[in-house]
Amino acid sequence: MKSSNSYTYIFVIAMAIVSALMLSVLKISLQERQEFNKLLDTRKNVLKTVGALKAGMSDMAIEELYQSKFRKNVVTDTEGREREYYIYGSSDSPEGYVLPVSGKGVWSTINGFIALESDWNTVRGISFYDHGETPGLGGEIEKDFFSDRFVGKKIFRDGKLVSVTIAKSKLTKPSEHAVDGLSGASLTTGAVNRLLRDDLEAYLGMLKEPDREE
Amino acid sequence: MTMVKAKTFDTFLGPLSRSNPITTQVLGICSALAVTVKMDTALVMTGALVFVLVGSNTIVAALRDLIPSRVRIIVMLTIIATLVIVIDELLKAYVYDISKQLSIFVGLIITNCIVLGRAEAFALKNSVPASALDGLGNALGYGLILVLVAAARELFGSGTLLGFQIIPDFLYAENGGWYVNNGLMILAPGAFIILGLLIWLQRTINGYTEE
Repeated sequence: MKSSNSYTYIFVIAMAIVSALMLSVLKISLQERQEFNKLLDTRKNVLKTVGALKAGMSDMAIEELYQSKFRKNVVTDTEGREREYYIYGSSDSPEGYVLPVSGKGVWSTINGFIALESDWNTVRGISFYDHGETPGLGGEIEKDFFSDRFVGKKIFRDGKLVSVTIAKSKLTKPSEHAVDGLSGASLTTGAVNRLLRDDLEAYLGMLKEPDREE
Repeated sequence: MTMVKAKTFDTFLGPLSRSNPITTQVLGICSALAVTVKMDTALVMTGALVFVLVGSNTIVAALRDLIPSRVRIIVMLTIIATLVIVIDELLKAYVYDISKQLSIFVGLIITNCIVLGRAEAFALKNSVPASALDGLGNALGYGLILVLVAAARELFGSGTLLGFQIIPDFLYAENGGWYVNNGLMILAPGAFIILGLLIWLQRTINGYTEE
């Protein structure tokens, strides 16, 4: 009986239904918490790019700081798409701007934020918070040691947008527009270079004429 | 009576040392390299594996007379995959930061040879309590090596243990000392070296040789 085809079918189908039911119930009951974690993580990364995130901050403190220091604004980019970005600081004297950037990575979409000083030129911080790059290789773009390299770099050279480029290896001479590369991550760093340049270009109208956001 | 006791004891303690899944059987190496840069990820990974392995061994042992033998591998994989998704979702809900660091490696427990290996080799033929104990022993044996490798890598690679600084600040080169963290330890080759040393040490102690 145990080796009959019908028994095998019934067992496998029952098994599949039970597992699927259990997982569905679990997913639905945890969804709210998971989405909250995701939102909080985005907030943390926005704070991190402007250098406002301190170690050991509670969830409440993060939410409070975010609500009090950041405002959302919407612009239409050069491709005609509406884009949200964040203004940091008070409305009459902003301390910086946080622009969401995203693009195709090696395995999945890379999402990140780049924060600029109020001059719309100097990089205040960068953070790639969501990606599917190879852990240990391209995945290193999320680490602080890497994002710290971007701080203080300029995205404009003689009035022309050049973005910040990740070099293939260590920089041979200091540059305002390039940072040291990551070994074993040529494809990822290439993807990051592309998405930074493309997205900054899309924001270009806004970058050149900061008054437009008012 | 004493014989039963000795055997139970062995089911649990064997995998911790003599038949350790990593150092003796050399299984589960991929994740052992990937999640051992820091101790906290190694500990969470151990917890995840304890959950999956005890769970899968228990369920497989409970169903061992019902599972049609022609499709047993698929059935066991379904059980294992379900448990892995459960733990992955729980980590995402309760320890989000660590689950981000563990990224795909929790999901990859499905393909960890230790889990399917114990289900096929032990749980299909033994009682529920013995299988649960075997699962616990193997998961802890895996975890023990993970934590040892992680401790060595974190101490020599970052100068910390569980995030607390162990090597004093004044010893570091940037503060006028002479000490520099060993960058190799943070990379995968560092794990290979530590793991190799552990395997050597453990096999020397146990007198285990490969034919």
